Amino acid sequence: MDTQKSPPGTAPPSQADESTGAPSIADTMVWAWRDINVVLVPIVGERGVAALHNRSLHLTGKAFPWLAAPPGGLEAIVDLDALHALLTLQGTEAATDGGNALLRTFHDLLSTLIGLSLTERLLFPVWEKYLSASPAQDPSP
Amino acid sequence: MTTKVTINRLATGVPGLDEVLGGGLPEFSFNLIAGQPGCGKTTLAHQIMFALATPESPAIYFTVLGEPPLKMLRYQQQFDFFDAEQVIRSIRFVNLSEDAMVGNLDRVLRRIVDEVTLHSPGLVFVDSFRSVVQAAEDTDGSGNKLQQFVQQLGMLMTSWQATTFLIGEYFDETDANPVFTVADGLIWMRQNVQRNSMVRKMEILKMRGQSTLPGLHTFRIGTAGIKVFAPASGAVPAPSIAASAAGASANAVRLGMGVPGLDEMLGGGLPRGYSVLVAGPSGSGKSILANAFLSEGVRRGETGVMAAFEQHPNKTRNGELFDLIESGKIGLVDTRAPDLSIDETVLLLLNEVRRLGATRVVIDSLSGFELSLPPTFRDDFRESLLQMVSVLARAGVTVLVTSELEDRYTDLRFSPYGAAFLTDAIIVQRYIELGSRLRRVMAVVKVRASAHSDELREFTIGADGIRIGEMLPDQEGLLGGRPTRKRALDLSEPAANASDA
Repeated sequence: MDTQKSPPGTAPPSQADESTGAPSIADTMVWAWRDINVVLVPIVGERGVAALHNRSLHLTGKAFPWLAAPPGGLEAIVDLDALHALLTLQGTEAATDGGNALLRTFHDLLSTLIGLSLTERLLFPVWEKYLSASPAQDPSP
Repeated sequence: MTTKVTINRLATGVPGLDEVLGGGLPEFSFNLIAGQPGCGKTTLAHQIMFALATPESPAIYFTVLGEPPLKMLRYQQQFDFFDAEQVIRSIRFVNLSEDAMVGNLDRVLRRIVDEVTLHSPGLVFVDSFRSVVQAAEDTDGSGNKLQQFVQQLGMLMTSWQATTFLIGEYFDETDANPVFTVADGLIWMRQNVQRNSMVRKMEILKMRGQSTLPGLHTFRIGTAGIKVFAPASGAVPAPSIAASAAGASANAVRLGMGVPGLDEMLGGGLPRGYSVLVAGPSGSGKSILANAFLSEGVRRGETGVMAAFEQHPNKTRNGELFDLIESGKIGLVDTRAPDLSIDETVLLLLNEVRRLGATRVVIDSLSGFELSLPPTFRDDFRESLLQMVSVLARAGVTVLVTSELEDRYTDLRFSPYGAAFLTDAIIVQRYIELGSRLRRVMAVVKVRASAHSDELREFTIGADGIRIGEMLPDQEGLLGGRPTRKRALDLSEPAANASDA
């Protein structure tokens, strides 16, 4: 496995080109989260993924207040409809940045809990599909 | 040609466990790993899984309601055996907590069967099984459903050719739990706490189709995972009759002790492969004799191993020995690990003996050794010593053990443990009061199957080590500690002697 892959969110989602607008970005993000669910729900359960998702919303909400999770955080499932609605309401740039930041925060959160290698091992198919981040390059001399 | 089924035995990847299991884990067996929280069940399961899972024969780890999966993954990857590359490729984690939470065992079983059908795993783990039990009890109130569940699961897993492990907590081993009947193997893990010591022990209560090593076996959990210490007696196979005969002739070879004069007292040195007990009071020179024994080996081109339970050799106190340890000629077994068991100590010694090809071993001292043992092992100290000495003898090394001996001038004792019979030879050191000075005497009490000196010789300790002097023939009652000068008239005036009587 290529562990040199850039962390998610370092580049805009390839299938969510800014020119297509916020609704398209919202669709792509929701698909990405569905795929994350497919990978992680069997392992940590729906409540487990929902808890991680809520924590990510809370953390990302500091830079993107419109993403901040509602108080409570006891949801049993990831509320993708609410996420879609939130992203659609934003401008294209804000939706792209906020959506990417949410994914990056989720990735970082999972990494702090189960380590970078296992996180990338589990989520690699998702990042590969939705993020066009090119492998990290050594800086030019 | 036999048509009987051959049961493959899987190497578990847990050091010492295969030996305790009687040769590994039977393939397609249905096993229960039980014990209190924190005793290492999940770690044992993971270690076995990472050792055995392959892309061709993958593993599925079902987590039920015990430890949250995220935490389990977080902590288990601290162990060296956890290889993230194996996840997905040969190991799948499946969460059943939501199915178990509603208490529907049929649904839990269905999920397990679906996953097993889909992925055809060679290994299946269900952790923790107790939560399945509780979920069933909460909804059903009886054990019947559970028994059905276990029987179905056992049957299905065997039919699907999967080696299965149920990981359970708190099970009371006296409880007639239906799981025990169905299981082919029962691995019980315990934590024994006495005062401030904690010793982990494992017992194989059942393993169908093979003979396991009975009793409690200590194990330790380190960064590499679990390591089981099988009984020391199994660490070195018993010699055959032919090998024993060869060993007897090898005994004709005598080893130098490194103390001038002592070899003559022993009848020409210590027979190779013998064990010798050096007993004496504090400060009498036991450790110096032990160090001389090791140093002499190095001078003759041999290597040695030392387990120091009292003072660890250092540059200022034991310069020569320290240098030999530094140069790798003498191996030092680290006895400072907490709650070291006798079996573990023997294993450490044997590993070091094998690593260095050592011929001489020193254990300094039995008293320090006993004090370093957790209370749980002290009751069996004498038996364990016998086992240790015989295992080391079977390994072909010559062993010197020292023993603190409280000077009691009313009896002639050589060991506080009654351990004198354990060794082939005994050297005893005593203090005597003579001319208002504390002086030292030494004697060889026994050398099995060999002539030896019966002299009680004075000795001194100087910068160059132990120097054995002469007998004190004009003194008597040396072993009483306060000798008296023999009366010169005894031989020359028999008549007077008789009248005295």
